[in-house]
Amino acid sequence: MSTQTPAPADERRGTLRGAVDGIRSVELTTSQKLMVFVLSMSLFGLSNIILEIIPDPSIGPVDISVSYMVFVPLTIAALFSPFWAALGAPLGEIVFTDLLMGDFSGLAEIEGYLQMFLAVFIAGSLIRNPRSKGQIAVGSIVLVLVDKILSAIVDLSKVWIGVEDAEFVEGLPQSMLALETLGLGVDVVMSGVLLGAIPAVWLIPALHGKIEPLMGMRPRVAGEPIPGQAQASGVFVGFAVLLSIVSFGFAFLEAFDISAGAFEPDFLDMFGDWFILVSIVAIVVVLGLAILLFRLSRTSKSTADRS
Amino acid sequence: MARKTHDVLSVDWVRLELLRTAYSTRGGLFSRMDPRMVLAWYLVMAIAPWFTHSTGVLLVLFVLGAASVVLARVGPLVLGLFLIGLLGNVVGLFAASFLFGGDLGTLVALGELNLKLGAVSMASMAAFVSLDPEKLSDALLWFRAPELLAFGVSYGYRMLPILVDEYVTVFEGQRLRHAPVEKPGFLGLRVVWQWCVLAVTAFYPIMLNTAKNVRTTVEALETRGFTYGAKNEAGRTLRLAYLRVSALDVTVVVVTVLLVAAAFLVGPGVPVIG
Repeated sequence: MSTQTPAPADERRGTLRGAVDGIRSVELTTSQKLMVFVLSMSLFGLSNIILEIIPDPSIGPVDISVSYMVFVPLTIAALFSPFWAALGAPLGEIVFTDLLMGDFSGLAEIEGYLQMFLAVFIAGSLIRNPRSKGQIAVGSIVLVLVDKILSAIVDLSKVWIGVEDAEFVEGLPQSMLALETLGLGVDVVMSGVLLGAIPAVWLIPALHGKIEPLMGMRPRVAGEPIPGQAQASGVFVGFAVLLSIVSFGFAFLEAFDISAGAFEPDFLDMFGDWFILVSIVAIVVVLGLAILLFRLSRTSKSTADRS
Repeated sequence: MARKTHDVLSVDWVRLELLRTAYSTRGGLFSRMDPRMVLAWYLVMAIAPWFTHSTGVLLVLFVLGAASVVLARVGPLVLGLFLIGLLGNVVGLFAASFLFGGDLGTLVALGELNLKLGAVSMASMAAFVSLDPEKLSDALLWFRAPELLAFGVSYGYRMLPILVDEYVTVFEGQRLRHAPVEKPGFLGLRVVWQWCVLAVTAFYPIMLNTAKNVRTTVEALETRGFTYGAKNEAGRTLRLAYLRVSALDVTVVVVTVLLVAAAFLVGPGVPVIG
């Protein structure tokens, strides 16, 4: 971007509207979006493969392994665009590790994709200044928290309404709850801090200003709006909530399936296969609503820009 | 030439194994089939286990899955990781519920779930190990999957071995330039710590390199009109014109459907514990 006119030095670096200086736009071009998407996908996939090869140490039933390298998608989200980084990262996980390693689990993959998307999108949008260590640390912990709390809720409810009926298997619900809580704590420490905050605090400022020119982009300036950032508006919160409900829906569809014969054999006879159909329709409707809200939150922002 | 034992768990072996998996060079039944039919076959095998709760039926389906893994010639790395995951899951959950006062009933209840998940996983291993990236992404395009997904799949499978290779080079290079730790410390913890730090710091050059590669790739793609061409109906037809369904495809899918149906008929009679 060196061929273009530099911004006037005295221009206020607050919220800039639309264009940066009349020529350069904060919006990404099509190929830049594709670049961010592909970069996030390949790097997150690579980090997952590396983790896959490393053996997972475990103390008893709690494994203290690292589930993913949080700093990788966070770096791309913070330096380029949270939205496209969030779209790419979970796909990298699915393509590189799950498909290739035979770990592909159908519906559960969609659930994981939505959770990871939401986590990276929200965490990436929290970082407004890529040089601020505090924001980076908060971002990486929020990423793990969003992802893990959503999946812990899914896991717990799956077991609760799922495999066992209280008297059939004793001690499973309590042990699951204890394991999930312990697991969440371990995940925050291992994934969020050790392989999240600490590397990210070093890596993001180190790459800031160096990696962007390689991709033909201008480095971000603190305070400038990020292309494809989550807006802290009611509409976006609605989108996030609906998206998590969709991901729960996919999980419950599975859980219902596991459970139906196990504890209530005539449940299916009573409602027939309609029950499954109805829940699928419900999921589709909620997903549609979520996408609609998302579009709405973007357009309201861009019209606010123009006004 | 026989593989030597000390060779088996090196990083190079893992990389080669990934290459073999990604490009399905082992041959096998499904790699000769039409990719769309492989995906259809996969859907049959992956959905069937969810419609039953009888351990007998699941056992038969599990055996079917195992047979397809053999037919697809799945490599040892992928198979080993799968087995470790499955066994680890069973043992871990069992230990947990034992700790909180469960008994053998827990194991039976978990056994059903794990049979189900195992059968589905083996079907996906057999299917995706046998599809090379180009075919898989074409099949996805045919099913009207989003273009970005189809592109991601073919790009990912292609770049993965190169990326792993590059990462290993950078990692080894950094390790050579570092002094070894003076004292290994308790249980060699210092060695592990240095190893971890190197594994993370290696991402700095890797990210810069990948950014450069990605830009080259994307600009080359866009010069040829990738985004436009993927959405264009004529381009899509041209790209998918080579796909043909042969007699082998139909036979395999029909036989699978019959076998799955037979599993549902015979399954309840299979004697199982619990």
